[in-house]
Amino acid sequence: MAFFAPLSIGRQALLASERAIGVTGHNISNVNTPGYSRQTPLLHASRPDDLGFGTGVQMSSVVRSVDGFLEARQLASSSSLGGATTGRQLLDRLQSLFPVGDEGVGTALAEFFGSANGVANNPQDLATRNELLESGVTLAGQLRNAAGGLQVLQREADQRLGQAASEANATLQNLAQLNAQIIAAERGGRETNDLRDQRQVALGELARQLSIQVVEVESGGVNVFAASGQGLVIGTDAATLATELDPSHLGLDGNPLSRIGITARDGSVINLSGDIGGSVGTLLALRDTTIANDAASLDLLATTLRTAVNAVHTNAAGRDLDGVVGTDFFSGTGAADFRVAITDPRKIAAAQGANLADNTNALALVAVAQQTFPALGGATLSGYFGTLQSRVGQQARSAEASLAIEENVSASLAAQREAIAGVSLDEEFTNLIRYQRAFQAAAQMINVSNVLLDDLLGLVS
Amino acid sequence: MVGRVTERTLIADFTTAVSRLRRQQADAQNALSSQKRLREASDDPVGAARSTALRGETRELKAYDESVGLATTTLGAEDGVLGEVHDILTRAREIAASLSGGLATPEARQTAAEEVTELERGLLSLANTKVAGRYIFGGLTTTGPVFASLDDVGFTPATAYSGPATPFSVQTARDETVRVTSNGGDVFASSLQALDDLRQTLVAGNEPTANLTPLENAAEDIRQERASVGGRLARLQTRDLEIGNAILTAKTLLSDVEDADLTETITQLAQVQNALEATLTAGTSLLQTTILDYLRL
Repeated sequence: MAFFAPLSIGRQALLASERAIGVTGHNISNVNTPGYSRQTPLLHASRPDDLGFGTGVQMSSVVRSVDGFLEARQLASSSSLGGATTGRQLLDRLQSLFPVGDEGVGTALAEFFGSANGVANNPQDLATRNELLESGVTLAGQLRNAAGGLQVLQREADQRLGQAASEANATLQNLAQLNAQIIAAERGGRETNDLRDQRQVALGELARQLSIQVVEVESGGVNVFAASGQGLVIGTDAATLATELDPSHLGLDGNPLSRIGITARDGSVINLSGDIGGSVGTLLALRDTTIANDAASLDLLATTLRTAVNAVHTNAAGRDLDGVVGTDFFSGTGAADFRVAITDPRKIAAAQGANLADNTNALALVAVAQQTFPALGGATLSGYFGTLQSRVGQQARSAEASLAIEENVSASLAAQREAIAGVSLDEEFTNLIRYQRAFQAAAQMINVSNVLLDDLLGLVS
Repeated sequence: MVGRVTERTLIADFTTAVSRLRRQQADAQNALSSQKRLREASDDPVGAARSTALRGETRELKAYDESVGLATTTLGAEDGVLGEVHDILTRAREIAASLSGGLATPEARQTAAEEVTELERGLLSLANTKVAGRYIFGGLTTTGPVFASLDDVGFTPATAYSGPATPFSVQTARDETVRVTSNGGDVFASSLQALDDLRQTLVAGNEPTANLTPLENAAEDIRQERASVGGRLARLQTRDLEIGNAILTAKTLLSDVEDADLTETITQLAQVQNALEATLTAGTSLLQTTILDYLRL
């Protein structure tokens, strides 16, 4: 046994404890860092000497507590949560276009036919006729408001796509850089725990925007693919997401909507295909399906209302206060341009035949309220609106419910991750004391070795 | 439940619980202040459609109520007028009866002729009765008069009526319309003719015996019309009650769909309040306790 062995063992123990205290300190200081995984120093006995005597302790590496399966599940949950959050925000605003209570299309519709009955009761009275015109204007305004709100919402969903793409691009660049740093560090034999944590956070951010699949390769880098299999990050290369106006796909406001895809080498945009997922997937579904369908239903309601009312109003037997056949009451092609076409209350054709005091045509107008239409699935106008309102409410309600579910799932996964990777201050302080004691003992050992050495040198002198 | 609980888990649980409870608190508070359970369609999608339907129904019922009001006023006025016309015919018949039998002097016939002329004027004036500017025996038209004056050149009872021929009806239910007016020309045709004939007979100095039957028949016609008006009035009264009840029912149903149950909401609020206080108390004491409190480093 070498004479200086205790000194060297003490020195190594001191070093190992010091580094372990360093790791503990790193854990403590990152207690609130998002995505940080707690690290544990791996200590092992160093190689025995030729005679098999122990030579002390060595810190071989620092390991990061993670669960790969959990991380994959968290990424999937991020996508669902991102989609649900976006869905909730937009659908909540969608349903505010169809308010419950005294405002909105439903009430305006009832008011309109109520006023028509007023004209039927008093066909020659200009004030009553004016009231019918006013309630027609209100109804038209409510229809235009709802249709305009849908247009704005669809445009917003479209613009949010562009935002999502640019946010995703920043993350993709970041991922490619982190990949490069991790590959270089691992090649040089350095620890990459913190870089990997950062990369996992970046993957989570990307997953909020769209569903991704992550494959780790031997070099330490990860390849990231969209759900369609299109590559987003391959090693140190990041793809660029881009949005481009598509002239063949017009929005409710008549202007082109964007398509989102990956920029190819020649600058063209290759569409993201398949089940895109995440916030982008939800935006596309809302923009192209939910909002478009609701707008179509509203248009159908407006068109049916316009056709039915105009048919009665332009009835060849109908007469206005001047004894003339009525003209179109409502104008427009859908809900967005729905207007009352006449401004003069005398032009309301309430009578049929020469008798201007007659109310037959006004009664026919009132009867439109009870008419059922095959185009509306056999419903009345107000019945159809009620169905539309209920559908929009149901959509908002499901969005609320799925957000709550996704939040719960995400919270539960976060708790599971925290159980494995989270820093517990109680633990860290306990470890701190452990390593402090070990450090103190190692120092004491060096002290003892020093005394022994002194004694020995004393013998020589 | 997870195995290893860190401070962050505790903090995350705490903040999630507090924010959830705060949200419930705000929701209950909102329900209390608005007294509404249904504030947006997502609160109850089926209820939202139902609320829209009930509001529409209420508005529709109010429209019927207005129609019933108009019809009741008009028919009531018609009833009064028909009563007075019947009195006129009775008086005319009395005159005719008293002058029959050849005992009357030409002077008496002349005086009677003048009275009958006034009666006929009165009848025409009654036939031109307006309610709110609308001729109740002229299809509720505002343009009139619908009956010519006795002083008009070429007046004949048969052509006296110039108002609309079509009656005026109002909608009092989805599948019920009530006729409010009758063709004034038809209603008063026999009375005017009988009265006019009597006048002519008396002016010519003839005996009015032959006029008795037409006068009696005219009075019968008026009684029939009055019975018809009375029948419609009775139906309208029933309908008025029906509408009142239906509006009340719709309002009750609307309240069931839309309004918050105050007792339930207040109880909920109290429960949330309790849970929130408990969470805050537990959270503050738990989160403040760490190993640091017991270590002397």
